[in-house]
Amino acid sequence: MKIAVLQFPGTNCEFETLVAVKAVGMDGEIFRWNRSAAELSGFDGFVIPGGFSYQDRVRAGAIAAKEPVMSALKEEAGKGKPIIGICNGFQILVETGLLPGKAKGNANAGTNEFRVNSSATGSGSNNVDMALAQNVMVTQGKIVRRGYYCDWVALRHEAPSKRCCGTFALERGALVKIPIAHGEGNLVTTTPGLIKKLNENNQVVFRYCDKNGRVINEFPFNVNGSTESIAAICNEEGNVLGMMPHPERSFFAWQLPAFDPRKQRPDEPGPGRRIFESMKRYIEVNA
Amino acid sequence: MSQKINLRVWLKIPDAEAATVKNTLVRRMGYGNFLSDVKKERLFSIEVDSGDPQELAKSFARELVNENKESHKVLVDELVFDEGYVPVKVALHIEDGEAISTRDRLRNRLGFGNVLDVKKATIWKLYFKTLKPEAEIKAREIAERLLINPHKDTYEILSQ
Repeated sequence: MKIAVLQFPGTNCEFETLVAVKAVGMDGEIFRWNRSAAELSGFDGFVIPGGFSYQDRVRAGAIAAKEPVMSALKEEAGKGKPIIGICNGFQILVETGLLPGKAKGNANAGTNEFRVNSSATGSGSNNVDMALAQNVMVTQGKIVRRGYYCDWVALRHEAPSKRCCGTFALERGALVKIPIAHGEGNLVTTTPGLIKKLNENNQVVFRYCDKNGRVINEFPFNVNGSTESIAAICNEEGNVLGMMPHPERSFFAWQLPAFDPRKQRPDEPGPGRRIFESMKRYIEVNA
Repeated sequence: MSQKINLRVWLKIPDAEAATVKNTLVRRMGYGNFLSDVKKERLFSIEVDSGDPQELAKSFARELVNENKESHKVLVDELVFDEGYVPVKVALHIEDGEAISTRDRLRNRLGFGNVLDVKKATIWKLYFKTLKPEAEIKAREIAERLLINPHKDTYEILSQ
């Protein structure tokens, strides 16, 4: 069971992600963006870790999405192989059109085909169905903060178990504590009905919530202004997951914050471990 | 009556973001036969309701431009560009927190009580090997395929 942990210029979580992959018993290696993309087919699953690929130039994930390795990854996704994008990895998957998936023109990403807007001014056409925009933190209808934010957050698992490759082993309603660290995680979309569709198809995987699992759609619980407090989504098939929180940063109990009693039991697994265990289980079941 | 002060700001040092965009367009997206260069500017459009716009522009430039690495140009109530490239203006259509912060700092911290509004945008200057009608079509394609995410950005091909 071999996992490729993709590395773009500016990725900065690849090594701890690889540790997490190996610690649950999968084999893995760092796969640099400029390696032959055809080699991706030799892997059973993929993780796009967090960081700042290409320094977030133009916007987070936009440049990495145009790399040939992403076209190859799209083919691997079509074969049903699991892909988990974490933070910047999520942004790259969105910009590639792999999430939420089924966007018009998806198949053309990375090629020179395009559609042209006939007006001189316009929002234009693209191969993406949503954006992860700049964080806007709102409390009681007022903007209280903007931009980069890092903290430990509580997440409620919204999808049924086995719905998604990265939460295969999690029950619906399970609470996990994982840190976030990003400036652009605010899920917005102008696609009519997209959020409704994501909800109906159980493609909303995690929502930000309070420690008791209540979803409160304002800061500090909704940490970035994301529509309906969405923290993670998967594609329709469930084999591609994008999540803003960093499970590799809460993989071991010793990584937990000082106020968490589990930190005193360093041999115990951390909550983020379940994401990687799920990926492994997903591959075992679908092999 | 209000006036709009347009402050165009660009790097004097090499612009890595513009270089990355050019590289991506040429090497990854097949525009090598059409595109010769990409440059970038930041645009602040500051609306004021009183005062000498030229003097105000100098004051705004002192606050918003770092002369060690940046150059700037001021245009009052107009926004014109040189020939030779297609200027593509990209701005957020969702709330622009940076523009709001800039407006609030100018007004509340720096004492420019006559500032009504601030808008921010990026001007991508696309230099083409092809002539104008085709160049504008290509510029539109580039905007839609790379420069914007339509769920948060809009673009406009500016006249010259």
